[in-house]
Formats: sequence, C-alpha cells, structure tokens
Amino acid sequence: MKSLALKTMAGCLCLALASSACAKKSSDAAAPREGRTLQIAVIPKGTTHEFWKSIHAGAVEAARELGVEVIWKGPQKEDDRAQQITVVEDFISRGVDGIVLAPLDDRALMRPVQDAVRERIPVVIIDSALQGSDFTSYVATDNYKGGVLAARRLGQLLGGRGRIFLIRYQEGSASTVQRETGFYDTVKKEFPDLVLLVRDQYAGATTETAYQLAENLISRFPDVEGVFAPNESSTFGTLRALQESRLAGKVVFVGFDSSPKLVQGLRDGHVQGLVVQNPRKMGYLGVKTMVAHLRGETVEKVIDTGVVLATADNMDDPDIKSLLSPDLSKIID
Amino acid sequence: MSRQRPAGLQKVLNVLGPFIGLALVIALFSLIPEVQGRFLRFANFKSVATQSVIVALGALGMTFIIVSGGIDLSAASNIALSSVITAYAINAGAAPLVAVLLGVLTGGLVGLANGALVTRLRLIPFIVTLGMMGIARGAAKWIAGNQKIDAPMTWANELMARSPRPSWLLLAPGVWIVILLAVAMAVVLRYTVFGRHVFAVGSNESAARLCGIRTSRVKILVYSVAGLFCGLSGVMEFSRLTVGDPTVAVGLELDIIAAVVIGGGSLNGGEGSILGTMVGVMIMSFLRNGCTMMGWPNYIQEIIIGAIIVIAVTLDRLRHRGE
Repeated sequence: MKSLALKTMAGCLCLALASSACAKKSSDAAAPREGRTLQIAVIPKGTTHEFWKSIHAGAVEAARELGVEVIWKGPQKEDDRAQQITVVEDFISRGVDGIVLAPLDDRALMRPVQDAVRERIPVVIIDSALQGSDFTSYVATDNYKGGVLAARRLGQLLGGRGRIFLIRYQEGSASTVQRETGFYDTVKKEFPDLVLLVRDQYAGATTETAYQLAENLISRFPDVEGVFAPNESSTFGTLRALQESRLAGKVVFVGFDSSPKLVQGLRDGHVQGLVVQNPRKMGYLGVKTMVAHLRGETVEKVIDTGVVLATADNMDDPDIKSLLSPDLSKIID
Repeated sequence: MSRQRPAGLQKVLNVLGPFIGLALVIALFSLIPEVQGRFLRFANFKSVATQSVIVALGALGMTFIIVSGGIDLSAASNIALSSVITAYAINAGAAPLVAVLLGVLTGGLVGLANGALVTRLRLIPFIVTLGMMGIARGAAKWIAGNQKIDAPMTWANELMARSPRPSWLLLAPGVWIVILLAVAMAVVLRYTVFGRHVFAVGSNESAARLCGIRTSRVKILVYSVAGLFCGLSGVMEFSRLTVGDPTVAVGLELDIIAAVVIGGGSLNGGEGSILGTMVGVMIMSFLRNGCTMMGWPNYIQEIIIGAIIVIAVTLDRLRHRGE
C-alpha cells in the first residue's frame, strides 16, 4: 500500500517537473524586460544585529520611494564568508537587476562580484570595503574617523593617562579594522600616556564570544581604566562583562553602534560614549545609488554617510536620538 | 515466494528514497512562478554544483565513518585547518601543487590521529573527534596568526571558479573531482574487500573481529581516508574564498553528517551509500539555493532543513520496520 502511494507520488512529480519545464520556456519568452519593476538584492553581513535591521529599513524606504523591489537576504550563518558568496551567486542565478552588498571580506567576495558584473548585474558596496574596482559605488561610514572620535572621547575623559583595552572585532572585517586603526593611531599620536594593556584580542562574531573575552581580560587586568569596542556585538558583550564584574560606570567605556540595551547603558552612565553611524542612510543611499545607476545617471564612486559621537549629554537631541533609537516599526515588521 | 516481489520493490524504494526527496525539492521551486524560469537553468545548476563541492567531499569520507559505526565531529575544523595550511604554503612561496598536496595531507594526518586515538585509547569516536574539533580549529587560528591569510591568486583558485577557464569543462574542476571521487568511493565501498569490512565493522564489531577482520586497521584506514577528503575539501574552501580563513565552516560538520543521514546512512553503523549521501548533499544545496532565490528569510530555510532530517530518518525507520 505504502509503496503504491509513493509510486503514485513519484509519478505525479515527474509530470509536474515536465509541465513546469514547458511552462518555463513560455514564461521566459513572454517576460518583457522593459516596464518591469526593478529587483534589487540587498545582502547584509548578517540579519540579527540591530545595525542590519536599520540598513534593511533604509533600503525598504528607498525602495518604496523609487518604486523598486528589494529582496533582503543575508548569509544563513552570521558572518560566514563562504555562505555570503553562495548568496551572491544565487542572486546572480536569479538574475536580479542589481546587487547591494555589504562584503564580509574585502578579498573573498571579489570573485563573486566579478561574476555578477560579467553577467551585467551591477554591484554597489555598502558598509565595508572591497578590493578591486568592479563595483559601481561604495556607500559607507568613514570608519577611520569613527575610531578617531572614540579615541578622543576616551583620552579626554581619562585626562590623557590610564590603562586601556583595545578590543578588536574579527579577523578580516575591513570596516572594524579601520575603526581599530583610527583608534590606535589617535591614541599613539594624541595620547601617548595611555597604556594599551590589550590591543590584539578578537571578540569574535557574537555577543557571547565578546562577553567571554571581556570577562577573561577583566579578570587578568582588574585595574583597567578605559575600554574601546568597535561594533555592536563587541560593545554589548563588553558592557555585560563590565556590569557583571561591577566595573560598569567606574571604567570609561566607549563603544560603537547602538541598540536599546546600549542606549540604556548610556543613560545609566555605564557607557561614556557611543560612536554611531547612520545605517539607515547607508541602506537608503545604497539602494538609491543602485537605482540611479540602473536608470543611466552617473553616480559618485565613494559616498560617506557620516559618524557622530553620542554621549549622555546629547543623547536626547532629536538628531542623535533618531540615530540611537531609530523607529523602524513603520518600515519593516 | 509471494514475499519476494515486495522485497524487491522495497529494495528499489530504498535506493529511490532520497531521489524522491530531491525531486520534491526541485519540483517545489520549479513550480513557483517567481523563480521557475531561472531555477531550472544550467547556469543555476552550475552554481549549485559548485556550492555543493565542499560539503560533498566531507560527506564522502563521513559516509565511510558512519557506515563503520563512527562519527567525525572534527570534519569542519579539519577543513578550516587544511585551507589555512594551503594558503600558508602558497603565501610562503610553495608551488601551488605542493601547497594543495600539503593541504590534503594535513587533513589526512588529522584523520589518522582520530583513528589512532579511537583504536589505541579505545575512546568513543564522539569524544575523540569532539576534542579534535577544538584542536584543529585552534591550530588553524594559531597558524593563521588569528586572522585570515591573503594568498596570491594561482591556478589553485580556479578549482572552484563558477565559470571554469577552459570553457569546455562546463563545470568547475572541483565538481568533476567530486564526481570522479564519488564514483571511485562507491565502487570501493560496495565491491572491495575493504568496503565489505567497513560494513562488517559497522554492523557488528565483535562479530567482525571474530571473523578475522582486523577491525582496528579498518577503522584507522577509514578515519585517515575521511581525513584526506576533509583535506581536499579544505583546499576547495581555500580555492573558493581565495583566502585562508581559520573561522570558516563553523558548524559545517553537522551539514556533512545531515547529508549522510538524509541519504540513508544510519548512525548505528552498517548502513549508508555514497549515492544516497550525494543526493543528500544535493537536497540541502538546492533547498538553500531555492530559498535564497525566493528571498525567503534564513529561519525558514533552517526550519525546513531541520524538518527534512527528521522526516528522512523517520521514513528510513518505517522502511526497516517493513522488512
């Protein structure tokens, strides 16, 4: 009985396959390229961080304004280079009109981007740099400047002397490496009396790994006076570790990016500064630049979306507030 | 005599089982109007095939291990280590061929260590390979200096190019390598003395030993061969990424194990086939590809693959109860 059912099922499947194969030809011939809504794939580094949700919101906003379709899809595992390559390839296969990509690696994503361009699918790079020049435009935060802002805040609050940690995010992530470099250069140049107790420890991809690293560092150097972390997950992981070890508020802590918990930390005095980017603008301009390019306009090769330092004093200014706690509910659900 | 026919049919179904799953997945996406025109194109099959290479190579070795009643949790770490070694060697100025061989060999050595520990210390494979998972991953990060290794482009990076250099190849060289090795391994597992010994060890180790099979030697060989496959897989990973990344393929061992299980392998040992495993790999790759093309969120994909593993194993159980 069972086998009969299976057999019938297999038979139906073959039929379905055959009919769809026929359908394919007719639909291909009938699909006109002109007058169709443009399809733009937006590929983030991951989908769970607040930061990427803001990018998503910005992209959707631009899509609504310009009347195009945005397909939002990140690598299945957060921060997995190999899987991001797969996602780019799958969108090349699908034949989208353009790809907006936040590359997880400045080198590893070069070849898929070349493949896309070869198949006449233009690529706009957002957030993190990509080597080579196959892409149409690069829309991103000036990350080096963000690191400089963080170092100045930390240096001023410590009066130019003290023992600090530079916590790094992850190997090969260009945007955070630039922030770390900006921070490091500024400390060396402008605050020579700051002692870097740690400067080559990596927090890893998740809050959990950052939490563990910060805990271990704190137990090794309990007399730390200042900490810098270069992105949302490392900032939050470090904040949790500082709070758990009752050092939050005593240690000068400057982080990067924002989330509700980090804003609360700022308000409670556990975080002395957050360098915030404008991810929504990045998503928005990424899609907008792509559409402009597709419609034949010339676009800038590099577009800066800006960074600002949010502190307990300015966090309620409307401009800063909209960057710290963007209201995304109206845009994405 | 009347049982003869259903038994034959059962056998056919056992072989066909995974294929039905694959056909279902392909049919599903072929019927969705949004992507059907694109999904069935050769160019798409080409990218799915290329994307499958890394898991497929790992799964070839894993099939041997699972048939022999073992498990290898260190496969993904081994892939990362081998890819880092390959990149390191190329960076240090070694000829690409030497670097590739070193990468494969590294995988083999890790496998040999697994096999030696399992047999000599009489530890269960789960524990040995769980430990090796950390050791290999740590070694990869250590050798890479805790960052990725940028190696200059060589022909080794062409192995996984979606559009192969001599275009008459049609598929990436890596895909052809997988196909050739899969055929070879299917023959080894089915028709050679070694292959039959692997099944015997997996079905009943003490009986196999009493029959005069040197079970330790079989196991060491199985883990070493699987290690070599992971090494080759690591070379392919390097070829694809063009950098040696010690953090790559985290959790990939579970995809590899899932492919073997979906393809009819039993974690109790004594069962499994190369063909089934390869179909299992394709099912997961097509699902991922289709979900991405549809722009479905990742959680849907993860839920579907999870469900398929459970369904595949349940169907397998039902079939066996029927026998």
